[in-house]
Amino acid sequence: MHPGVRGLRILDRMAAETARAEDSEVAGLLAACARQDRQAFQRLYERTAPQLLACLVRILRNRATAEDALQDVFVQVWGRAGQYERSRGSAWAWLIAIARYRAIDLKRREGRIHAEPYADIDDLPGEDEPQDALAALGQRATKALATCLAALQPRQRDCIVLAYQGGLSQAEVAGELGEPLGSVKSWIRRGLAALKRCLES
Amino acid sequence: MKRDEPENLDLLAAEYVIGTLRGGARRSFERRQRRDPFVARRVSAWEERFAQLSLRLVPIAPSPEVWAAIERQVGGGSQRRWFALAAAAAVITVFTFGWIVWQETRPPQATATLASEQGAELWRVELTARGDELEVAAVGTVSVPGDRARELWALPEGGAPVSLGLMPATGEARLALNDRQRAALSAATNIAVSDEPAGGSPTGAPTGAVLYVAQIART
Repeated sequence: MHPGVRGLRILDRMAAETARAEDSEVAGLLAACARQDRQAFQRLYERTAPQLLACLVRILRNRATAEDALQDVFVQVWGRAGQYERSRGSAWAWLIAIARYRAIDLKRREGRIHAEPYADIDDLPGEDEPQDALAALGQRATKALATCLAALQPRQRDCIVLAYQGGLSQAEVAGELGEPLGSVKSWIRRGLAALKRCLES
Repeated sequence: MKRDEPENLDLLAAEYVIGTLRGGARRSFERRQRRDPFVARRVSAWEERFAQLSLRLVPIAPSPEVWAAIERQVGGGSQRRWFALAAAAAVITVFTFGWIVWQETRPPQATATLASEQGAELWRVELTARGDELEVAAVGTVSVPGDRARELWALPEGGAPVSLGLMPATGEARLALNDRQRAALSAATNIAVSDEPAGGSPTGAPTGAVLYVAQIART
């Protein structure tokens, strides 16, 4: 094997190990929160709030609304920390899911949050096109998803990444891309099916 | 394809996770997820996969009010406990502040001035009273090419030079000292500055010309 390639594999493994170690730190903090440890709760907040806020801002497109949502999310996390099970998945994925569903819910209910255009938000999170996001993803220990997303047809990938990152409905994705709703629906459906086949292969 | 086939449920789970499953379908899928462990596992699996995309977003630091509001909402300890904590914090602050002022006003243990051959002063170096830091001030005009650096060395009697850090071209810098550097410095009568590649000597020993040498004056 080319030494450079071996070096990269070692780096990948190290990245994966770092990610696991980091996740078990967050999982440990969640377990402590379940025991009502307030110091752990504060550490968990310091450790994870900026990343979760980035997800919320991306979906709600409004800094103030996103910070309100962040508050709700952590109040929920404090109350539900005991429900997190390590065997079910990573602590980060659990936290991200709570944050994203909260944001999608808020958006659905309030409908007309004053949405700032992406370019007007301070500290805008990665304003990359979906394709760029994938290019960068390839460098991290997220091989499977990155590889499989990259293998999708471009429109399928755009729809899925836009919907996920922006918390957009199919109609909103259609609006963003200037494509008919019917096409978007079938791209998402087929894209997800192809993604599933690829991830499970 | 029937609605309840595993294949179809898995795709519904994916649509739920990316958020495109909306309205009544979303609500009923949530109910289903609560009572069907298979569905719950599929949802977790998709959440796990897609979380990688979320971790790619550039983090945004929340404003301090958010944490304050969260603490209020989850209910802090009793008033008395907070008062005790605040009082303890105040006492610690006063002592720390006093200690720092006291430390800062104590005279340095040693000083040295590095000058050009023409006698123009370039840097003043002071070893702090605690002896764990060097304070370096660029006092003259020092021009360093972009790809080079000026590195400071202790020259201990009968030993090899020990790097103390990089010199600032302008302004001031504090160089923290580890045990080895402190020992080298206390066994040295001179310090020197050498010409090194940007970032400092790659070998741990001076690699370029020794440009300036100064005697250490102990106080």
